[in-house]
Amino acid sequence: MSAPGTDMVSDADPRSGERLMAPVARRIVGVLALVTLAALVIVGLWVAPPDEFQGDAQRLMYIHVPAAWLAYLAFGVTAVSSALYLWPRTRSLVWDRVAGASAELGVVFTALCLLLGSLWGRPVWGVWWAWDARLVTTAVLFFLYLGYLALRRVPATLDVRAKRCAIAALIAFIDVPIVHFSVTWWRTLHQEATVFNPELDAEIHGTMALALWIGVLAFTLLYVYLLDLRYRLEVLDEDRDERELEAAIADRVQGGPPRETVGASS
Amino acid sequence: MTATTSKKSKRRTYIALGLCGAAIVAIIGLTVVLSNNVVYFRTVSEAVASRESDGGSRFRIAGEVVPGTVEETRNGVKFEITDGKKTAAIVHVGDPPSLFKDGAPVVCEGRWGADAAFASDRIMIRHGNEYEPPEVDSEKASTGAQDVPAEGTVGAA
Repeated sequence: MSAPGTDMVSDADPRSGERLMAPVARRIVGVLALVTLAALVIVGLWVAPPDEFQGDAQRLMYIHVPAAWLAYLAFGVTAVSSALYLWPRTRSLVWDRVAGASAELGVVFTALCLLLGSLWGRPVWGVWWAWDARLVTTAVLFFLYLGYLALRRVPATLDVRAKRCAIAALIAFIDVPIVHFSVTWWRTLHQEATVFNPELDAEIHGTMALALWIGVLAFTLLYVYLLDLRYRLEVLDEDRDERELEAAIADRVQGGPPRETVGASS
Repeated sequence: MTATTSKKSKRRTYIALGLCGAAIVAIIGLTVVLSNNVVYFRTVSEAVASRESDGGSRFRIAGEVVPGTVEETRNGVKFEITDGKKTAAIVHVGDPPSLFKDGAPVVCEGRWGADAAFASDRIMIRHGNEYEPPEVDSEKASTGAQDVPAEGTVGAA
């Protein structure tokens, strides 16, 4: 308060895109995500029958497939918002934050997908890992976006960072369709897609399909909830950085002993 | 001043676009080149056809276990696999995976042995994208529930 200049800047600067959703909306999505996740546990573990061939191991599919779907969705959102950032008419740091937040979630769910797939592969295939096209391209996807997240941590101004990350995100996205069609283009140990296969002909028992769809819905709701939360965190992070910078500048300008001014302005 | 900076930023944009284009071409090119090499397994027919020419190299062979051919050996298991056209004898050393049985879709890793059999040291089960409940009873129970209204309409008619 004793440094009026600092407060003037941060207060007079009307930040656009403080949050993605109203707090009420986020809470509703969060509750819906919890409810559908609970439904997934019940339907996936008890209502749906075990598979004829794989037994109970097949139930891992109800979270493995939604995790893979979320990775596609998250990286898709990252690509679209990166393009919206690069496009001059829609250029806004809002898109950069969405891209970063979504990529982080995508990496988490790609890791989950790889891990669950490995846990499933051991009892069903007989191996933890296979060097087939699907598994390798998915691992490449994981590391590509890990690189993207590292790029976001490279010190730069917000605009410079946003631009270079947007370009990287668009290049990395090329791997997503390759991952999805790898099972169709090449011979793999991994089975073809159950629902979105080229014939769009799902050969899955009704209750099992229900569990799968509940899983997809639950994970999507969870994604929306987490995306909003992560976005908000990014805004607060930027705010803090800005305030620290302004405090440091104020210290220099006033020329007083740094510790006192820092204490006074906070 | 502004003209030079905009020129500079324009040039930078072109460089960035060029790099993007190069990356895309590289990835697509790599995909096309690799697509011939990323065959995870050979079918039984392909493997049999290339038995003379492949010079004992290591590869994977895939097919379905022919029912009734599985025999335990001293240090593993012996069986035949087929792709519907050709059949190959497999001599496997080691324990087969738990889901290994008659009719199971398998991928075996190894090489052609001297005795015209495939010497395998690793079996993987290649599961398809079909999912079904196990017992006929539960199948009946679920379809039975659907049949009730159908019977009702028959009765009403």
